[in-house]
Amino acid sequence: MLTLFFDFARRFARNRAALVGLFLVLVVVGVAIAAPWWFPRNPLRIVGRPEIWPFMSPRYPLGTDSLGRDIAAMIAHGARTTLLIGLCASLTATIIGITVGATAAYVGGWVDELLMRLTELFQTIPNLIFVLTIVSILGQKIEYVTIAVGVVTWTPIARLTRAEFMSLRDREFVQACRAMGMGSLWIMFGEILPNALPPVIVLSSLVVAGAVLFESAVAFLGLGDPNVTSWGQLIGDGRTLIRSSWYICAVPGLAIMLTVLALNLVGDGLNDALNPKLRDR
Amino acid sequence: MIMGSKAGPAPILSIEDLQVSLFTRRGVLPAVDGLSLTVSAGETLAIVGESGCGKSLTALAIMRLLPNPPAKIVGGAVRFMGRDLAALSEREMQRVRGKDISMIFQDPMTSLNPVVAVGDQLIEAIRRHNDVSRHEARDRAIELLRQVRIPDAERRFNDYPHQMSGGMSQRVMIAMAIACGPKLLIADEPTTALDVTIQAQIIELMKELQSSSDMGLIIITHDLGVVAEVADRVAVMYAGRKVEEAPVEALFERPLHRYTRGLLGATPSAQRRRGSRLVEITGNVPALSDLPQGCAFQNRCPDVLDRCRAERPQLAPLLPHRSAACFAAEKELSRDAAAIGA
Amino acid sequence: MRRIIIRRLVQIIPLIFAVIVMNFVLIHLAPGSLFDVMTSEQQITDPKMLDQLRHTYGVDQPVSVQLAKYIWSVMRLDLGYSYRQNAPVFDVIMQQLPATLILMLAAIGIALLVGVTAGVLASIKVNTIWDNLISLGAVFFFAAPSFWLGIMMTVMFAVKLGWFPVGGMRTIGVDESAFGAVLDVMHHLVLPATALGLFYAATFARVMRASMLEVARLDFVRTARAKGLSGGRVVLAHVMRNAMLPIVTLLGLQLGTMLGGSVVIEAVFSWPGIGSLLFDSVMSRNFPMVLGVLVLGSLLVAVCNATVDLLYLRLDPRIKAR
Ligand SMILES: Nc1ncnc2c1ncn2[C@@H]1O[C@H](COP(=O)(O)OP(=O)(O)OP(=O)(O)O)[C@@H](O)[C@H]1O
Ligand code: SF4
Ligand SMILES: [Mg+2]
Repeated sequence: MLTLFFDFARRFARNRAALVGLFLVLVVVGVAIAAPWWFPRNPLRIVGRPEIWPFMSPRYPLGTDSLGRDIAAMIAHGARTTLLIGLCASLTATIIGITVGATAAYVGGWVDELLMRLTELFQTIPNLIFVLTIVSILGQKIEYVTIAVGVVTWTPIARLTRAEFMSLRDREFVQACRAMGMGSLWIMFGEILPNALPPVIVLSSLVVAGAVLFESAVAFLGLGDPNVTSWGQLIGDGRTLIRSSWYICAVPGLAIMLTVLALNLVGDGLNDALNPKLRDR
Repeated sequence: MIMGSKAGPAPILSIEDLQVSLFTRRGVLPAVDGLSLTVSAGETLAIVGESGCGKSLTALAIMRLLPNPPAKIVGGAVRFMGRDLAALSEREMQRVRGKDISMIFQDPMTSLNPVVAVGDQLIEAIRRHNDVSRHEARDRAIELLRQVRIPDAERRFNDYPHQMSGGMSQRVMIAMAIACGPKLLIADEPTTALDVTIQAQIIELMKELQSSSDMGLIIITHDLGVVAEVADRVAVMYAGRKVEEAPVEALFERPLHRYTRGLLGATPSAQRRRGSRLVEITGNVPALSDLPQGCAFQNRCPDVLDRCRAERPQLAPLLPHRSAACFAAEKELSRDAAAIGA
Repeated sequence: MRRIIIRRLVQIIPLIFAVIVMNFVLIHLAPGSLFDVMTSEQQITDPKMLDQLRHTYGVDQPVSVQLAKYIWSVMRLDLGYSYRQNAPVFDVIMQQLPATLILMLAAIGIALLVGVTAGVLASIKVNTIWDNLISLGAVFFFAAPSFWLGIMMTVMFAVKLGWFPVGGMRTIGVDESAFGAVLDVMHHLVLPATALGLFYAATFARVMRASMLEVARLDFVRTARAKGLSGGRVVLAHVMRNAMLPIVTLLGLQLGTMLGGSVVIEAVFSWPGIGSLLFDSVMSRNFPMVLGVLVLGSLLVAVCNATVDLLYLRLDPRIKAR
């Protein structure tokens, strides 16, 4: 097991960009974890003069926004929201995707047909419009945003899981399990899934990046949870001031971009490390 | 000598000491090493040899279509009608390809662009080298399709490659190759991917086209039947080098190099049935990365001498019109000569 | 050919049907009854109107009847009435649709032009500084939120440099000739279409690069070179033509995301399309309009998808044979 891990780490580390990505992700995670200690007071509280530019005041290294709130504090706390929603949404998407994909491939027949039509349906619905609809009907809560983002991003995972299951379904070890009289559910999730998982994990890691982008768009439009800080919301708030203080938009946008970029790079690295046979393509 | 009758006129192609190297991670490998060949107008030269001995690289080197990286011409000259092709600019070379020298490949099914109708691919070849209107090119293309015996040419003109069989596709490839009346045609295993009956037709077609045009032909093949049927001269390659060259009759009569003997089977007058493949010889070709000192064939040679391990045999004109690079053959011939002389 | 087109269009029907049912489920998931959702949020107080609504939606009848009524009304393109705009939902959406279509088409155009060019360039100059620069750019634009790009571009090109207008679709108060109007719209279109298109350009560039490198190794490319074609002609007529196929597939898959993306971009640039409409409706809790946009948006994507599929059929003759 340990050697397997080292092998994995070595292959991952061979991709320089992935290492940079991993470093950035760790920084963001670190900031998210440290935020409550670093900025113990409510980040949405007004602390000083409005519209102080970054690097101008040592007390507010990233400046203050139009109301006089500390941008650094909001970025740090926003990292928590962003990562939380990104991870939970990706988890939701992965669970839905694996369930749908695995069932479709394993059961086959009309169930497969039906589930694939369902996948197609969710691919056709313009995803952001769907998220906005859900959030507007169910309410602006962080849970609903998370679920809504998960619900619009599971389709690629379902397709991939299905394809992987299809290719594994008729392998010898599965036949052997069937011959031994194992239950369908056990074979599906105990035997096939672990083998199908590596590429699915890669895709899930990329879905985290997509979910972060979705969340930021929802928050930007002012439809996120008003009680938590979020990077997208910060950009939305700063929009009115682009003539005088465009940095209010620029800073959180850079944070989003770097986070998404880092997650994508990590995803690529995972791909290299988990699917060595695909690497050369 | 009757056999050399066709080798009379000055050669249209003469390769001198061609060197092609593969620049790989494991080092620079000599894939074609010091190869010299000539082809005259109307003549057919067959190149035979085991898989991986450098036949295709030789052909691609003439066309200057080597896969680069890793392959590159590192030495020698390819003289075509007096010009050194290796020294031409890419621009100038493009005017030679398809017009003066054409090439057809092993797998006709993958050699045509799958999303372009075959007729359009033909027209493209015609218009590249001839200043004709699309309409004229179309007429010429259909005529070419007829010439290569494609039934219902006018309808087939609009077909896509996937709608054609392998044999049909290879006919299209041939039509494309002869579209501009080349002086030299290089066919790299043109029948390997085809059914046996189709193979015969394709070979027949090529012979016919050649006889009506005085075109030089280089045919690379594994099929001794094809060699016997179409070739005037044969060059045998082993591990990147030419090890023997002879007029076809003479070669079948009496192969000199021990590798050639292995190829043709134990009996000197091998059966010349079509489809009789080169005989498998036991043992493996040494990898290009660790060729032995001396003769590359030594590990598989039944007549290996001490000298073969120490010294590399050079190609020598052992008999009129033919040459071989083999110590055992040299010895044998000098013994013969001594016997006659005595 | 016509049979294929019709068959492909017929496939859309169950999809739209499913969207309608899902809409209905969503309404029922909402806190409060269907009727509450459809009315109270819009502060309707006129009792006569309430009665009429009660009848249209069959509020007092069982769920199955409600569903049937809902489906029936949507099928007649009756998506409800918007009291905010004082017009039927369908009419309002149709009025806003052209602006969104223009924006999407322009964004697709930019994405294809920039993405394909960059991908081709990177593949031709593979492993050179050009390739690396293009890959780097792709990585960045792939990660940047489009609305943020839009804002930053506004700051740069509209506010600081003054090259383009800050938002809107036309200059207000200027009466121009038809040609002038077109130019005016195009001038307004540049920033939003670029902001929306660059993300997809990044995707296309990556896929195109990989696809070009893959195709360039194939046998028929060697044949094309053996014919004596010039390098440019080989790339354009043979390599690119085949390498474009995955791009077309990808484009079809991304239309839905693109329509979603245009919602945000329209909000950023006050572009008067269905995105702005949706945003406004969500904010004012105008649910018939929100659901109407969802249904018609899905229909739009489904139709565009079918169009892309048919386009693919034209581009790849091998498909027809199957
Ligand atoms: N693109 C390439 N990359 C690396 N090595 C190559 C490449 N093309 C050819 N080679 C190597 O060069 C040597 C000669 O190859 P070549 O294709 O000329 O053989 P061949 O005689 O045509 O064989 P065959 O009968 O199988 O076609 C082989 O060892 C082959 O592995
Ligand atoms: S040179 Fe020597 S080893 Fe090589 S073929 Fe002739 S006899 Fe055999
Ligand atoms: Mg070959």
